[in-house]
Amino acid sequence: MISFFSFLPLTRHFRLAAALAGILVATAGLHGLAQAEPVPSFVQNGVLTICTNPTLPPMTFVKGQDVSHPEGFDIDVAQALANRWQARLSVITMDFTGLFPSLSAQRCGLVMSGIIRTPAREKSFDAVTYQDTALVVVGRKGTPSLTSMDELAGKSIAVESGTSYITRLGLINDTLVAAGKPPMIIQQYPTEEQVVQQVLIGRVFAFVSQDVELFFRMRQLGDKLHVLITPDIPDYHHFAIYLRPNAADQTQLQSAISALETDGTLSALRTKWSVTDQSTKNGAANVSASSMFDWNAFFSALTSTAFLHGALITLSVALISHIIAITISVPIAIVLNSPQKSVLKIVLEGYVSLFRAAPTLLQLLFIWNAVPQFFPIFREQWFTPFLATILALSVNESAYQVEINRAALSAVDPGQELGASALGLSRRDIYWRVIFPQAFRIALPPTIKRIYQFAKNYLSCVCYFTAGTSGCDTDTGCTHFCFY
Amino acid sequence: MQHETTDLPMISVRGMSKLFGEFVALDRVDFDVSRGEKIVVLGPSGSGKSTLIRTLNRIEPHDIGTLTINGKLINEKTDPIQLRCMVGMVFQNYNLFPHLSVLENCILAPMRVKHMSRIEATALARRYLEQVGIPDQADKYPIQLSGGQQQRVAIARALCMQPQVMLFDEPTAALDPEAIVGVVSIMDELAEQGITTVCVTHEMAFSRRIADRIIFMDQGKIVEITPPETFFTTPKTDRAQNFLNQMLRY
Ligand SMILES: Nc1ncnc2c1ncn2[C@@H]1O[C@H](COP(=O)(O)OP(=O)(O)O)[C@@H](O)[C@H]1O
Ligand SMILES: [Mg+2]
Repeated sequence: MISFFSFLPLTRHFRLAAALAGILVATAGLHGLAQAEPVPSFVQNGVLTICTNPTLPPMTFVKGQDVSHPEGFDIDVAQALANRWQARLSVITMDFTGLFPSLSAQRCGLVMSGIIRTPAREKSFDAVTYQDTALVVVGRKGTPSLTSMDELAGKSIAVESGTSYITRLGLINDTLVAAGKPPMIIQQYPTEEQVVQQVLIGRVFAFVSQDVELFFRMRQLGDKLHVLITPDIPDYHHFAIYLRPNAADQTQLQSAISALETDGTLSALRTKWSVTDQSTKNGAANVSASSMFDWNAFFSALTSTAFLHGALITLSVALISHIIAITISVPIAIVLNSPQKSVLKIVLEGYVSLFRAAPTLLQLLFIWNAVPQFFPIFREQWFTPFLATILALSVNESAYQVEINRAALSAVDPGQELGASALGLSRRDIYWRVIFPQAFRIALPPTIKRIYQFAKNYLSCVCYFTAGTSGCDTDTGCTHFCFY
Repeated sequence: MQHETTDLPMISVRGMSKLFGEFVALDRVDFDVSRGEKIVVLGPSGSGKSTLIRTLNRIEPHDIGTLTINGKLINEKTDPIQLRCMVGMVFQNYNLFPHLSVLENCILAPMRVKHMSRIEATALARRYLEQVGIPDQADKYPIQLSGGQQQRVAIARALCMQPQVMLFDEPTAALDPEAIVGVVSIMDELAEQGITTVCVTHEMAFSRRIADRIIFMDQGKIVEITPPETFFTTPKTDRAQNFLNQMLRY
């Protein structure tokens, strides 16, 4: 507020007066706080932290490149809640399947991510409804509408992994099989964006989504999609905010939502994000689907921000973790190559064989899920999935790099060290001026090869599939995709 | 740096032994080398010649006995860098740095150890490269040179540190006959300049020509120390006689 005033071409005195006025307003606000409703316990130190998977427009999604600033209906509702509780809003983005583990691990106070209210989820968490919704089955434009879910027998259906659609479709499959029909082939993809793409490129017959989501896609893709059927699915009627089980918190959240409903905040937001606009749901043109290759769909996937973002993360994770790995591995390799026996050497040998033998997935999981339990400092927000990945992969890769370095150091003729020390060069110079430059040349090709394979095999999938979130969430389906 | 005690030996070795585990590589050796003296070390393979000259610049530290160089007692307290500025060494396999050019090989130690400026070090290096007969190879890399040329670079590199003692460990053993002639002529020249030299070699003619004394070793022991004319004509021991018979048979 004060900085805003300082931009105005006012006299010094007037500016001071204005600043004072600002402080008065702020104090009045603080006064109001004293009378405000009690703040739920998940608001900690004046911060409301929510976990969200910003891949479900218009509820929660990322526009442009900045993954750390998702927007959408959910984010605005969260902001309205934070305002009510005089709290600052902090939004953590992650892969969908990481949301509930993060809620349990107290990384956030609420999960707000366009998630359906289901009795199954309510076994572990409390839920508060804030928006109605319905499930839709969507196909390419030109696909005839369906009259019954039975018509999907034997067809391939794309769904976002980690969502409850999978279970629901599983139930429908059970009835199909019981009726002697082939089941639907359910294919999972980590982001909604990719789910839609599978339909556009014709890999799957249809995808399952929510009405609110579909509206957004329709707006983006024009008339390329159309609703095949809106089945009446039990337990599929509401979006809910999830919190750790706590009756008092649930009641306070419920009353805050009711208040936002009453004062018109929610309905204003629904209009802003077109959440209730159902006008584009129908209107299928009965034109036969073009079977031609859709270049646009391919290139839009290739140049999508999600893909580019994933590629960028891939490269930076590969490079950063290797720079760290190389830095760690050089002194380790020197110690291991020295002829003397020492305790340090035994410890380092253990380090190298442990991290070479243990599966990378296990190490990722260990760093992300176990380390925060031993050291509370890793529970804080700065410890992002991105950092966790860098840490885990640096340690893991350093173990491989040690082997490359050791081989390179042994490949340097021992006469080099002899010749250098006969000239009176210091240990430091012997290493930096004589041995390292030669070992570096030997180690370079295998190192580059390793970085390349690493980026190609592990990370491209980790990061492509988590693209659109804040990095590589490791207790999620993304690693699942990578390592199986 | 001129001492008044110039009659003091440059190198003085007393009761020096070197062990590799249980194996006695040097067995209580005693000898002196005067200033400017040329010593050639002879002996069958495995007799400890390399080990002996490596103890002189402490690349192999001795275990028992005393070593004095230029009046200074050399032991674990000696600054190895100071010692190696004083004692230069040339190896059988040259041990040039393959990632550096000939000139860079020569100026690395003067700059890093003696803190000479690049200009100073380069001028010095060019002088010694000229002396060893390869002034025009300064910008080449070691692998672009023949074995003989590489050994000349190694000699120039050692001379650039301007040592008071030069150690040679079979400098011609890896060279073909033509190259040997060239390197030997450079060593002849160095000998004339009066630098104290301890040289392990199998070049009998060269030994005869330049050596002031011959040290003959066998099984880690010094068997005899004699002037070359005596050694090559009437060696004192049977072992030396046997060695010479073998060497001269070819
Ligand atoms: N680093 C070492 N470790 C163990 N034994 C060694 C080592 N260096 C030399 N020796 C042994 O010491 C003996 C003398 O070696 P060396 O001085 O190289 O002989 P020469 O140069 O006369 O051929 C040889 O038997 C050799 O095997
Ligand atoms: Mg030898």
